[in-house]
Amino acid sequence: MAGPAHPEAMAPPTPGRTRVAPPQMPVTWWSAKRIRTYLLFDATGVIYFLVAFVAIRLVDALGAGPEAWNAAMESLRNPVYIVFHLLSLACVIFVAVRFFRLFPKSQPPMIGPLKPPPGPVIHAMLYVVWLGITALMTAILAGVIL
Amino acid sequence: MDVSRHDIVIVGGGAAGLRAAIEAAEKNPSASIALVSKVYPMRSHTVSAEGGAAAIAREDDNVELHGYDTVKGSDFLADQDCIQYFVEQAPKELALLENWGCPFSRNEDGTVATRAFGGMTTKRTWYATDKIGFHMLHALFQHSMRFKNIVRYDEFFVSKLLIEDGSCRGVAALDIRTGEYSTILGRAVILTTGGGGKIFPFTTNGTIKTGDGMALAYRAGVPLKDMEFVQYHPTGLPGTGILITEATRGEGGYLRNSKGERFLVEYDYGVGKKAELGPRDMISRAIVQEIEAGRGFSGAYGDYVHLDLTHLGEDKINTRLPFVRELAKVYIGVDPVTTPIPVRPVVHYMMGGVDTNIHGATEMPGLYAAGETACVSINGANRLGSNSLTECLVFGAAAANHAIDFAKGSSEGNEASLRAQAEEEAGRVENLRGRKKGGERISEIRRELNSIMENACGVYREQSTLQAGVGATAQLRGRVADLRLEDESKVFNTELITALELTNMVEVAEVLAVSAAHRKESRGAHTCKDYTTRNDQDYLYHTMARHDPAGPRLGKKDVVLGKWVPEERKY
Amino acid sequence: MADKTIIITRFDPDQDEKPRKQEYRIPCEDHWKVLDAVNFIKDEVDPTVSHRWSCRMAVCGSCGMMVNGEPKLTCKTTLSDYGDRVDIEPLANFPIIRDLVVELDGFMHKFESVKPWIIRAKERAEDKASRHPEKGTFIQSAEELGNYKQFSMCINCMLCYSACPVVANEPDFLGPAAIALGHRYNLDSRDEGTEERHDIFRGEGTVFSCSYANECSEVCPKNVDPAAAINQAKFGAVIDWAKGLVLPRGGTN
Repeated sequence: MAGPAHPEAMAPPTPGRTRVAPPQMPVTWWSAKRIRTYLLFDATGVIYFLVAFVAIRLVDALGAGPEAWNAAMESLRNPVYIVFHLLSLACVIFVAVRFFRLFPKSQPPMIGPLKPPPGPVIHAMLYVVWLGITALMTAILAGVIL
Repeated sequence: MDVSRHDIVIVGGGAAGLRAAIEAAEKNPSASIALVSKVYPMRSHTVSAEGGAAAIAREDDNVELHGYDTVKGSDFLADQDCIQYFVEQAPKELALLENWGCPFSRNEDGTVATRAFGGMTTKRTWYATDKIGFHMLHALFQHSMRFKNIVRYDEFFVSKLLIEDGSCRGVAALDIRTGEYSTILGRAVILTTGGGGKIFPFTTNGTIKTGDGMALAYRAGVPLKDMEFVQYHPTGLPGTGILITEATRGEGGYLRNSKGERFLVEYDYGVGKKAELGPRDMISRAIVQEIEAGRGFSGAYGDYVHLDLTHLGEDKINTRLPFVRELAKVYIGVDPVTTPIPVRPVVHYMMGGVDTNIHGATEMPGLYAAGETACVSINGANRLGSNSLTECLVFGAAAANHAIDFAKGSSEGNEASLRAQAEEEAGRVENLRGRKKGGERISEIRRELNSIMENACGVYREQSTLQAGVGATAQLRGRVADLRLEDESKVFNTELITALELTNMVEVAEVLAVSAAHRKESRGAHTCKDYTTRNDQDYLYHTMARHDPAGPRLGKKDVVLGKWVPEERKY
Repeated sequence: MADKTIIITRFDPDQDEKPRKQEYRIPCEDHWKVLDAVNFIKDEVDPTVSHRWSCRMAVCGSCGMMVNGEPKLTCKTTLSDYGDRVDIEPLANFPIIRDLVVELDGFMHKFESVKPWIIRAKERAEDKASRHPEKGTFIQSAEELGNYKQFSMCINCMLCYSACPVVANEPDFLGPAAIALGHRYNLDSRDEGTEERHDIFRGEGTVFSCSYANECSEVCPKNVDPAAAINQAKFGAVIDWAKGLVLPRGGTN
């Protein structure tokens, strides 16, 4: 079954010489297996949006004094928040993994005079950098170093 | 009715048409060039060519050799002055094509690679893996987009040439989208509409190859030349007729019969040491004879022989013949790396066409033709593989150059009277639209036409079936005037286009049959069982066929001979 | 041999307010492609069906249609892969002219806008082709050819446009085939027009609207992988922009 696409989709620069029926797209376009990953990828934006609100609330509590801060910290122990934060971690990992998986394809055949390294090498480099920085930041925040 | 004025009108947007458009646009930036095509140019049938395009490239090659190979391949019917021009221009044209972006395959040193091809004494076929036609067409089409003075009329079907005072001054074209006619005027018209292979049932040609340009010229009184010479490509897939390029043999493939023998080596078919790289007419005949001798295979889509690529190895097939591998897998379920491909001769090319001189000019002032539509003639009675694409470039450019000069010197036609002609044509075609009172069905006539041509004008022909074919095609000409059409709509009425194409096909077929019946000898691709030898004394001339209400009227035109004296054609 | 119901979208702008579906029950041979069924219907059952096709060997790109909701090249798609009911619609995301025939001029416009021809530095100002280069053909190694070869295989069938969710929603997006073609020329060692094309690619929504859904590469019948081309083009356009900040007018290709 088809539903309407954008009415101007693939429209010619000047109107055609006969009346046309508007462009259609299958209504079930979102259900094809391969597109679900892409939609999930884009949908994770919602989580980040919510994370921003949580962060704003915490910053606000920070400014309101030690009692408000402690109350905010206490509320974070609520299982809903735990689940929410685990979910947003999962989203970030999912997005990073998908992005890393597709990254080698976006490399041009030559970068200046050099060929980019093969896919698995690029993957390895990306993971090393990502996990390395994560480890470093964790260590700094935990006070282990610096 | 819309009337537009241009300097040159080009009908047909394949390799020849696009090359002509580019040449005219470049040479004369202030000129307006109309490119009128019944399909978008990237759909033109040039796109399906696979093997390569020939031109001198190597140190061990020269114009003498290429010229001689071509003349001999043509069974000495080609015009030697035209061949001389052709082989000289060929390298320049292909170099230009390369500059315009065509991704030719390369040698180790970065120069353009060449491969062996049928009938050629040395490697001179420039190739782009095995999709030369596709790459050539797209390179030409994309290059043509730089020129703002090329005005495209995409999906316009030209059904009549507009003639005034014996000069061609434009075309009447049906805008397929709106169903309305358009008068497109020009001081010169170049026909580059390709051949008419669809009159045969088994052909490499796509559905758009219906001989439209040939029919247009023929109806306008311009003679068609050498129409009896139809090339059967030896290796097409049974059933669909899809082309399996000669390059498979150029890269070392073998043809085997049901006993596993390389029959071109085992038995004497005139190809000598060249074996699989002999000229196409001889190999097609060899395959038919093998099948008749009972050494062929039988299948759901008729009899065939094997094209064996298994010894080439997967690497070579993937690098040099990837498209062939894909075609074999998708359309006949065979992987050439492990299994031989079933092949049989199928109609591929028409050596004949609109009679032109070396400049692409017909005898009618202002009317030109180039490519498969034209018969210059450089292919004579049989064309060598990979000469055709180069021919499109060389003579497309030649016709454009001459046409531009002609256009500068010619006066503007009388718009009112030309428009009136177009309106009359529009009225005639309008009567055909949704003509429910007709008695003949399009698909029925097409089937009958195919059957007549298959019987009368196959690889081997005989006088009895040829004469029957002449009568049958004449009869069809009468019947095709009474077609029944169901579709009354104006917008994108493809039934109407099919009907117009069918009329063209029937006319071209009749000319073919009459020309073939009259030639009582065997030369090149025209093999007559009743007259098995070549008869230079009586038949060394071009067959000219002119339009006449009673049927094609035949005449003769001298062959331009030269330094290559007709000799026995042995390889 | 089996009977199937072929459902074809019909639309005649002079008769129909909007597209409708018409069903045909026909005997289908086992070896048929979907195109053979449509041709059978046109030849024997209903000559008023309009569709485009030509080469029937998957190289001209004319016969793209939606088959059961997926964009397919009908001359390459085996009919026996489908069940009893086969729904054939015109390509998604294109305005429909008639039955299975879609409006192509929008695509042609996008196609031409990426300057899909060899641009040489000398002529950039005058936009004139170099007709008689001194040395004849360019020298190009097999490796250099390999850099862009894949992207030059596009047959302009537009299945990628039908599959792309961005094409469906953002009219300014150049689309997979056009961008892949522009990128093909950027990668061609004989071309010197990369900067010009990257300027075009940095236009509003022309290339960066791509969200890497990868649908285009999934449906491409010629394995052109336009998704790779688009994302390489994005990468290249950004690098060019950055170079332009650091070396305005001074950088060479």
